[in-house]
Amino acid sequence: MTDPSYVPPGEPLERIQCQWCQSMNVKTALSCQACGAPLDVRNLVSESGWREAPRIKDMTEIHFSASTCQVEGEIVPAAEINLGAGDAVFFEHHVMLWKDERVPLSVMQLPGGLKRAFGGMPFLITVAGGPGRIAFSRDATGELVLLPLHPGMEVDVREHAFLLCSHQVAYSFIRIKGLANILFGGQGMYMDRFVTTGAPGLLILHGYGNVFERRLGPGESIMLEPGAFLYKDSTVTMQVEFQRLGTGFLGGTNMSLARMTGPGRIGIQSMYVHHHTE
Amino acid sequence: MFCIHCGSQVPEGGNFCVGCGSPVKRPAAAAPPAAPSYPSAAPTPPAPHLSTPPPPAEPRSASTKCSWCGNLVDATETSCPRCGAAVSLAGMVTESGWAQLPARKDMAKLQFGNSFCQVEGLYVPVADMNLAAEDGIYFTHHVLLWKDPQINITTMPLAGGWKRLVAGMPLIMTQARGPGHIAFSRDLPGELIPLPLQPGQAVDVREHLFLVATEHVKYDWFQTGIWFQTQSGNDSETHYPIGMFMDRFTAPTAPGLLLLHAGGNIFVRHLGPGQTILIKPTSLIFKDPTVQMALHFERPSTGFSGWGFWGNRYLWLRLSGPGRVAVQSVFEPIEGEARNITSFSYATEQRW
Repeated sequence: MTDPSYVPPGEPLERIQCQWCQSMNVKTALSCQACGAPLDVRNLVSESGWREAPRIKDMTEIHFSASTCQVEGEIVPAAEINLGAGDAVFFEHHVMLWKDERVPLSVMQLPGGLKRAFGGMPFLITVAGGPGRIAFSRDATGELVLLPLHPGMEVDVREHAFLLCSHQVAYSFIRIKGLANILFGGQGMYMDRFVTTGAPGLLILHGYGNVFERRLGPGESIMLEPGAFLYKDSTVTMQVEFQRLGTGFLGGTNMSLARMTGPGRIGIQSMYVHHHTE
Repeated sequence: MFCIHCGSQVPEGGNFCVGCGSPVKRPAAAAPPAAPSYPSAAPTPPAPHLSTPPPPAEPRSASTKCSWCGNLVDATETSCPRCGAAVSLAGMVTESGWAQLPARKDMAKLQFGNSFCQVEGLYVPVADMNLAAEDGIYFTHHVLLWKDPQINITTMPLAGGWKRLVAGMPLIMTQARGPGHIAFSRDLPGELIPLPLQPGQAVDVREHLFLVATEHVKYDWFQTGIWFQTQSGNDSETHYPIGMFMDRFTAPTAPGLLLLHAGGNIFVRHLGPGQTILIKPTSLIFKDPTVQMALHFERPSTGFSGWGFWGNRYLWLRLSGPGRVAVQSVFEPIEGEARNITSFSYATEQRW
């Protein structure tokens, strides 16, 4: 693999930093090698501080480890992976679109299988090994969120939101604490947690609708519709709070909102998972 | 405030972003006071370009007329500050007279009162409101996406609660007041439709399309009177192809902003007095209150033609002008359409 930060002797040390994933790219690059974000388009940041996930140009190719990934389509995008020998990706059920016959599949051993089945989480995480091609997509209008994980990062993801992840990333799941968070957090009992240790990795999520990211300062908080939550740094805390809305009769209704408190990044999706609070 | 290039927070009063060094563009907030900027003599009914005779040429040097809401827009603006439509091009009007909701630039900014609304995203757009201290909005259930912790939300009681409950309409409206940020979206791919209302203007909206409105807009509802009954065996059922109720939004004295959300693409046209058009009932988005509605049946004149036999039948909503009507390209099937219809509200009929 060509190291994007490698500078041949005699060449000037000019590099463009991707504003989405902070990776360094050669000056002539039009899109980021690591996350596919266009480098020649201005960032779209709302005045309230939310940054729109980069609109990845159709057929953009990105690199991770010894493999490449091409993002195809725009309304329901697919991620087509060309796995290098020795590389592998893991994923949940119902996201594989097609694959080469020779690409072997295997099952990742997970602790707590019974608890997961109980919590409605996928019981099996499947692993596909290289060399060969395999493609993934999810069955709804949305955006692919490419999150290259630098060493030492910890990201928490709403369950069933992750599409695939490269094998260097350690996968685990954490139990959401607090009964209120489980019952009214709109996302069940568990959250996926992805941790990188020594090597960088790639995590691809599928967000419904449009995806926005914002960085919360230490102690800064924002109230979210729980179904809008997509991912967060593990340093961001989540606490579901209730707002009582009286109607004057029939006892009124409750509205639950998740208070997310920084420091760290938080990602949301605009077509949120609908659930009833009444 | 935040840098529009990299998203870093810029201290108030700073001229350059601390994150990326780009110059900071200040919002023109608080400068134009709301009321005087809309004199009562303002052009009242929007979208006049939709009428059949071509409108007289507008002087385009100083200002352009927004093809969606009819607001006069300064020539230096790229999108209309009242409804967010791109103003660089003339409105896209089909040969049959339907105008498409103009493409909206991502992050387009709308102004209402001293507050702003930014529309973000293209598949499932988000209305991101920056409410000034004296401004307020109200919204329906299940549309709130996020808010600043200091914004308080309270309920706005509605009249006729029991009837609304029976009809499956939202029982409460929730309201929020500034200052602070609050954002809305609906859980369906589609378009966000900004409808600026001039003082005295009103619009009728099919149920469940409403997202959020400014507090000066008065909310009311009425029975559509459009229904048909089907019978199978001893079971008879009443169906409401455009819903039992319709929402009516009025701006009595001050101008207001109404945001709707509908699936697919949005088209609008202006019907002249007495002019009619047949539309799929479930595709109706909104209409001027002056537009009249009725059912219309079309079926072959040959063959067995009792009301009980509905093999080749079309069920239409007949709209008669004068006024504006808007439709969406993604619509639901009409419930009960294929069943045995026994009675119905006033309808016209045509046999071929």
